[in-house]
Amino acid sequence: MKFPWFKRIGIFFVPSTVPGWIILLSGIVFAVYSFLDIDGRSHSVSDTLMNFVFMLLIIGAVYSLIAFLTSRNHK
Amino acid sequence: MEKENFEKKLSDMTKPEIPDLKHEDLLAGAIINAKDKSIVGWWWLSAPAFVILMLMMKSVFMSGTTLISNIHEMESTQKYMSIIFFLISPLILIIINAFTIKRIHFLSGSPKLVNFLGTVWYNVLIIILSLLILIIYLF
Repeated sequence: MKFPWFKRIGIFFVPSTVPGWIILLSGIVFAVYSFLDIDGRSHSVSDTLMNFVFMLLIIGAVYSLIAFLTSRNHK
Repeated sequence: MEKENFEKKLSDMTKPEIPDLKHEDLLAGAIINAKDKSIVGWWWLSAPAFVILMLMMKSVFMSGTTLISNIHEMESTQKYMSIIFFLISPLILIIINAFTIKRIHFLSGSPKLVNFLGTVWYNVLIIILSLLILIIYLF
């Protein structure tokens, strides 16, 4: 398998290969699904935003961990 | 003839030259790796920091509640989530960053404290924030 999948720019890991882009798109799709799910169950805008931001941070944490592990050169 | 060959061999025999120092590469790699690790650390600390911020706001706007009581309330409703984000991830981050700092200190040959802290300040900051989250959660 060809590594690295991501390169780091600031605090973000940007995909540089097709598997990297697939992981990023999966994260975005999951974030949109989470937003719709949370929005369907919440009672106000602030309720939606608070729960969604928390979910977004979790998605970002998992994504950055995957990106970090696959952005190293495996020699 | 044989003597000349021997002299030529001797003149060709030199010490092996290493144009690039291996340990410089190691040190540069360790510093880049530490920076990458610290970015992952920031993301993993952002979730509990956000929760603490929200619970602080809750304790301000709801009279009779405190940050600690709100955290204990959350602990009873979302046990696994709170253990992962308030206990396990800060502990792991402290251990990983401590080892990273130790490795850079070793590779850079025990530099001056100011220069060293300039290189690893983000890792030190992550350790301090992780300790803060652990203290808030445990007490």
